[in-house]
Amino acid sequence: MPEQENRYGVIVVGAGHAGCEAALAAARMGVETLIVTLSLTDIAGMPCNPAVGGLAKGQLVREIDALGGEIGLAIDETGIQFKMLNRSKGEAVWSPRAQADKEAYHLRMLRALKQQKRLEIIEDEAVDLIAGEGEVHGVVLKSGRSIGAEKVILTLGTFPNGLMHTGEDQVPGGRVGEPPAGEISDCLAESGFIRGRLKTGTPPRLARGTIDFSRCEIQPGDTDPRPFSFRTEKIESEQVSCHITYTNREAHKLIMDNIDRAPLFSGQIKGVGPRYCPSIEDKVVRFRDKQRHQLFLEPEGLNSDLTYVNGLATSLPRDVQEGILKLVPGLEDARIVRYGYAIEYDFFPPHQIHASMETRRMKNLYFAGQINGTSGYEEAAAQGIMAGINSARSICGTGPLVLRRDQAYIGVLIDDLVTKDISEPYRMFTSRVEYRLQLRQDNADRRLFRYGVKNGLLDRGWWEGMVSESRNVVRAEVRLFSEKLDPEICSEVLGGRENDKIVGRKPAGELVLRPEVELEEVEPYLPGGRLDLSEKERESLKIRLKYRGYIEKQRRNARKMLKMEKMRIPERFEYAGIEAISTEAREKLEEFRPETLGQASRIAGVRRADLSVLMVLLERG
Amino acid sequence: MGESTVVALSSPPGRSGIAVVRMSGPEAAKILGRLAPHAGGWKSHQLQKVLIREISGDPLDEVMAVLMEAPGSYTGEDVAEIYCHGSMRLADNIIEEAIKAGAEMAPPGEFTRRAFLNGKIDMAQAEAVADLICSETRLQSRVALEHLRGGLSRRVKEIEKRLLRQLVLVEGSIDFSQEEGLGEFSREKLHSEAEGVISDLDKLIRTNIPGNKLRDGIRVTLAGPRNAGKSSIYNALLGEERAIVSHIPGTTRDLLRERIHIRGLTYYLEDTAGIAETGCEIERRGIDVGREAARAADLLLFVLDGSLPLSEEDIEMAGRIEHELCIILLNKSDLGLKTDREKAGNLLGARQMLEVSAVTGAGLERLRELIYDSTTTKGLTDIYRERIAVNSRQCNALKRARGAMESALEDISAGKPAEILSVWLREAASACGEITGRSVEQDILEEIFSSFCIGK
Repeated sequence: MPEQENRYGVIVVGAGHAGCEAALAAARMGVETLIVTLSLTDIAGMPCNPAVGGLAKGQLVREIDALGGEIGLAIDETGIQFKMLNRSKGEAVWSPRAQADKEAYHLRMLRALKQQKRLEIIEDEAVDLIAGEGEVHGVVLKSGRSIGAEKVILTLGTFPNGLMHTGEDQVPGGRVGEPPAGEISDCLAESGFIRGRLKTGTPPRLARGTIDFSRCEIQPGDTDPRPFSFRTEKIESEQVSCHITYTNREAHKLIMDNIDRAPLFSGQIKGVGPRYCPSIEDKVVRFRDKQRHQLFLEPEGLNSDLTYVNGLATSLPRDVQEGILKLVPGLEDARIVRYGYAIEYDFFPPHQIHASMETRRMKNLYFAGQINGTSGYEEAAAQGIMAGINSARSICGTGPLVLRRDQAYIGVLIDDLVTKDISEPYRMFTSRVEYRLQLRQDNADRRLFRYGVKNGLLDRGWWEGMVSESRNVVRAEVRLFSEKLDPEICSEVLGGRENDKIVGRKPAGELVLRPEVELEEVEPYLPGGRLDLSEKERESLKIRLKYRGYIEKQRRNARKMLKMEKMRIPERFEYAGIEAISTEAREKLEEFRPETLGQASRIAGVRRADLSVLMVLLERG
Repeated sequence: MGESTVVALSSPPGRSGIAVVRMSGPEAAKILGRLAPHAGGWKSHQLQKVLIREISGDPLDEVMAVLMEAPGSYTGEDVAEIYCHGSMRLADNIIEEAIKAGAEMAPPGEFTRRAFLNGKIDMAQAEAVADLICSETRLQSRVALEHLRGGLSRRVKEIEKRLLRQLVLVEGSIDFSQEEGLGEFSREKLHSEAEGVISDLDKLIRTNIPGNKLRDGIRVTLAGPRNAGKSSIYNALLGEERAIVSHIPGTTRDLLRERIHIRGLTYYLEDTAGIAETGCEIERRGIDVGREAARAADLLLFVLDGSLPLSEEDIEMAGRIEHELCIILLNKSDLGLKTDREKAGNLLGARQMLEVSAVTGAGLERLRELIYDSTTTKGLTDIYRERIAVNSRQCNALKRARGAMESALEDISAGKPAEILSVWLREAASACGEITGRSVEQDILEEIFSSFCIGK
């Protein structure tokens, strides 16, 4: 083992969205932490969409915030357009999203890292791990230094053996203008980790001054911007608009004419890309009869001259990219500052990690973010904070925090990672969340503050405030269902909306549960007087009422699953001899090595009958 | 802990032309090799004529036997089947020798259990096998066979597919509301689709009630006043003198039950004591039993002596029996009709009336047809059409799915948001999954990605 210096508690390799949350969490939990980044200018960068949140991702941000993470605070300070998505649906699927001022966001996060006690930053590249006997003890840097640590968290993003494609051109690199980092990935592969290859893409960036916005639709943000963080009072910053334009048949024709020059179709790209975020050439080929595709023009910052063309991700050659723009209304004269490209990179299929984010193969080594096959800043940040928390907990000798699927989107995300075959970049969707009605962005504080406080990432005051709020809400709900109204009052409230005559006194709540009746219509008649609720409490009461019954139903389902979730499978459980389990299931179980019967039940290829057999064996002990 | 190798008689017990001894498990090939050494060695899936010997070497029987290597066998394990001459003694000897050679006696249903555990058949199929083995009539075996081939699974999978298509639209409107073309779904369309799913489910649920009857038989009960000739009709339908017949009223005191088959369906024909106010205690007890049987019957045959005018007693008696499916039989038609047809026809709200003669056999063929027709009106026709009959476990799952879809209909009309409608669709899908063994939930995103242009 080489000479070691500066023994840290945790070393985080990479300072993207996963790395920042991991390092901040560990340092805040009292652990001496080092974060290694290729360049200070990379910290919390947004190489793709200049936005945070979005459908299902907004829920993740709120949860990270409730655990005491930084992403919510950072975007609240640097967001330039806030929007609550899915407002036409029920509150359970509302998702906050914000356009970010990229540069401001990066500086904001850099400041957080710099100001954090017990956290050091160095610019260098980790090229190897110091490891022995299935354990990691530190990292070796390109500069030749070897630094010891109790835990190492790898958050490598798209850098491991990154290869960028624009048309026929192939440039090794992690991002535009930045070299790849391949050595550490090769080291992991050499020490037995299974490696895969994924692909993602990004659209061209345009000079804002060259776009004719008068030919585009305007898309403003919300007039009442809502903060991501439970700790932000109010959004102060200036709000800007985005714009929408569309591709057309001429543009599609140009793409089809040049399709053999697209690396995606010429066989030049081997990695698998996300189907939910296809390139424009992919969309045109797969949906030939679609007349147009929507393009969102997103500013990269208040003072930035760059505009991001959401919907135009492409790896087509430069001349084709230029040609497409000439055909799109508003973009005819637009100048491309940076061409779109596709990037292939290494990842390590995440069945190789525990739900704690620690790798199965090597003790004290944690993976978070794209290295696990996910895509998205929010997905990365969520894994980052969990890796940070769990590495610090492990140093303190406490067991890992593993959130369940009925507790948080984060729980679903990580459970999916350790139980599913990840063959394309994994993105969060609300439909992946079976208990979606109770896992809402509005109640992330109620669900997770306690963990934030317990781990020392949140002040106790936040928790106490939340508890008092939620007590008020529950008290109000109890009042609604215990205070009864006379039939005449009921009729008056309903005002002819009900054909049947109302007989007998009815709890006020029963009226409110009718979809056509508002809480405020019933409130004046409550025998105990109006409800004493803050605006926020009132809103959360209404949401509770909307899903009353449905949530209980889902809770019952969750309880049914709990027995399976609690049934632990020993780490070295022998599947080989169990012939009552089908061969396919046996192979899958050996590959994924689920930690609980609940996890086992979610592995594709494991059938109900296999679970029954497993359950019998586990109960027998 | 590997599975053991098990052996059992696979053909019905009793004398028959051929008896089948089946062995399944990792040792099956080895044991077969010991009992019946074969010159060329045992090749999979080749029927061989061999001499079975005891372990001691004494020859037992000349048999046909086959080895089916895993996984290409019924259980998915190595299976050996021996077709020996149909004496129980001989089959027992072979089983005994197999046990000496290391096999274990298979508990009932073991082969099917293993086939299920090895993924060779799904739950619906496993249940069908049990039914197939117990089936007595051609319709029964046809239904069971159809299940075995996955008929029920296939039908439920079609329902799952319908649910998936709707889930894709509902979920798509939530997770991809920013995309063009996926933002909203049509509530009217969803409503009519939900109704369609309910009607599909109903078709299957309806096959449950008579589905039980398929296995257990349909109860047809003869009732009526004393000495109307119920037992004569009973015997005539059976084609044997099962009930004692005499001119003395009240001859039948006990409940008699025998099985008859009409066009492939099994019926339990029941003869009851004639109803009368008088009589000794034993007879009264018999009358009570008969009344109970009449109430529980699937079809009631109310027998009157057609050669006598309708008495007040008859009318009163009929009033005390309630039954929704009833045929009035005017017996003794050979003696000339004296009963007022119109009045008799009003009794019991009967749908059909028929003149018969147990003595001459007149009208009996028509009676069989009537029994058949009136019991096959509802679910049975569904069974005939679908060749599917669900058991009570499957029926419960289907009903759960139906309940969820009913709630979905209600919430669609009440204007509830997409995420709530999804709860019901998912519940219905998961209930269907209890029959097919999988759930479509994991397919939702797959389906969205393949059918819609996602990614703005």
